[in-house]
Amino acid sequence: MNCLTRILTIPSIILLLLQSGEAWALQPHGGGEGLYVHQMAHFFFMITLTYLYLHTRRTQDPASRGWRYLRVFCVLFFFWNLMAIIGHETALHLPSDHFINAGTWRERLAPPLSTLKVVYFFSKMDHFLMVPALLALFFSLRSFYREAREDAAQ
Amino acid sequence: MNGLPLAPTNVVDLVGSGLVIFFSFMSLVYANFLVRLQPRNFIWGFLFYFCIAITAFSISRGIGHILRIFLVLGGEEELWQLISPWSGGFNTLFMISVSSAIIYYHKGLEAYKAVRSEAEKLAEANRKLAETADELQKVNTYLEDMVEERTRELSKSEKKFRHFFENSKDMVYFCDINGNITDINQSGLKMLGVDKPSKQLNLLSFFKNDGDLDRYLLGLGENGFVSDFETEMESRDGSIRNILLSANAIFDKEGFIVGCEGIAKDMTRLRTMTDQLIRQEKMASVGQMAAGVAHEINTPLGVILGYTQLMMDDFDKDSEVYENLGIIERQTKACRKIVADLLKFSRQTGSAKVEVDLNELIEEVLTVSEHNLNISHIRVVRRFGPGLPPIIGDAEKLRQVFINLLNNSHHAMADGGEISLTTAHDQASGEIIASVQDTGSGIAEEIKSKIFDPFFTTKEVGQGTGLGLSVTYGIIRDHGGSITVESPVQDQETGQRRQGTAFHVRLPVAVEQKALNEEK
Repeated sequence: MNCLTRILTIPSIILLLLQSGEAWALQPHGGGEGLYVHQMAHFFFMITLTYLYLHTRRTQDPASRGWRYLRVFCVLFFFWNLMAIIGHETALHLPSDHFINAGTWRERLAPPLSTLKVVYFFSKMDHFLMVPALLALFFSLRSFYREAREDAAQ
Repeated sequence: MNGLPLAPTNVVDLVGSGLVIFFSFMSLVYANFLVRLQPRNFIWGFLFYFCIAITAFSISRGIGHILRIFLVLGGEEELWQLISPWSGGFNTLFMISVSSAIIYYHKGLEAYKAVRSEAEKLAEANRKLAETADELQKVNTYLEDMVEERTRELSKSEKKFRHFFENSKDMVYFCDINGNITDINQSGLKMLGVDKPSKQLNLLSFFKNDGDLDRYLLGLGENGFVSDFETEMESRDGSIRNILLSANAIFDKEGFIVGCEGIAKDMTRLRTMTDQLIRQEKMASVGQMAAGVAHEINTPLGVILGYTQLMMDDFDKDSEVYENLGIIERQTKACRKIVADLLKFSRQTGSAKVEVDLNELIEEVLTVSEHNLNISHIRVVRRFGPGLPPIIGDAEKLRQVFINLLNNSHHAMADGGEISLTTAHDQASGEIIASVQDTGSGIAEEIKSKIFDPFFTTKEVGQGTGLGLSVTYGIIRDHGGSITVESPVQDQETGQRRQGTAFHVRLPVAVEQKALNEEK
């Protein structure tokens, strides 16, 4: 394969992949499929986080700060995934007429307020779980590094 | 009621997305530090890839949320609708990536633990190997030190015993089963009359008496040792040495004798001195007895001789009685001479001691005796030391000493030979040494100790009274000197031992004699 052929072939493949106008698979895939896959990914993520939590609690040193922080991360991220799933589901059940001044800073959920709207509102605050989760991950990694450095020094 | 404002959610979303990106990135940085610190640690490796996926997810999601806020609120709703599926797709993809990384954590950890376990076993084995090697090294070092110490001690001990072996004045020897000497010190070689060690040197061949040899071998064979074993050995130069010997048999593992080791002391000098002392004591007692007997016999002999001579005056000289009386007179005189000799031996006769030049005295004796000696084909050799100091003595008695010695030599050389007369001054002892040495038949070892005994003679009956050397001994002793006999003799020119006899007379010089007399 010479240089000119490469130059022509690689961009062609990229352009074909980026072409989303038509599905080239044998089975057609609609827009709702993406949401399902995303929700399943969240669910899959929760399962793996549960596994990681249980496994590390069973196998790793319970006195280690790094593993404790990592388990905190697992718990927080688990609930963040749960919140995200709920958020995505509630968003499906809120049509556009439930929003006032959509697309502006003055956007509001139209009255009357329902449980669904309140849940939707709080699910939009998922960073209150996600940021502490990643902070716990950061502390975990930092603790691991400090412990490892002390071990290496010894 | 105006409904629930969503602006706070947008603010939280905006700030939270930024913080999520920041913390995920910082986690990735520390994960990277961990991997760099311990590259072979699987868990750090897992966390690194986990953080990559989390960071990718955080960036994808955070940028998506931030873009959504800015695009939608900025009136670019359509653009956001175009980007939104890509953002959601990437979010889904990275979430699955994070989940996949977690799923493989279990298997990876097991594999890592297995490898780690093997590595730890290997490390443990290496550690034990190192410890063992260290122990071995210590043991080796200890052994080396111990060997060095033992070698040093052994060398010291060997040096000590070698010094003892080399410098011992007694003979120290080692023999094989056949008596061949395998090692012997210089004193031993000197004792055996051997110049240097030889492989053919056999200790058993030096035993003079077969009986002693049998007893020696029997003692070693039956008891494994001999202790204070007295024997005589004949050295290579022919001299006989009295030896006091102690030896141990050397056994092999099966208990068979393979050789022996021993120490032998030369007792010859001690034996000689002891013999001399015994002889002197014997001579003294014999002299006392002889003096007593002589005195008792001398008187009746005088009476017999007197009456015989009176009776001879009463008879005619041609008569038979006169002849018989003449025989009685001669025999009586012979008896009186014997008595006189006995008295000389026992120092019972008076003497007039004056300064005497021994060379002149011997020359006077030779003037009388040399003619007879020459008739018997005996050559006389004079080796007189010049300028000899005088001695104090009875010249007449001293003449008799040398006459006796010359007569003995004369009788020992019936077929002719040579007599050497030697005089010398030994300044160390303050004595004049006069030696009469002949080339005659010599004196047997067995009778050496008896030759000075009164009436001991090897001559036929009637040819000698056996008093010559006894008288000589008595005279010399009376002069404070000594007389010794040497046979076989050492040739003065060649140094070799040869047949013959030598009498060595030692007399104190005048000054020493005067001092001796003053002391007395």
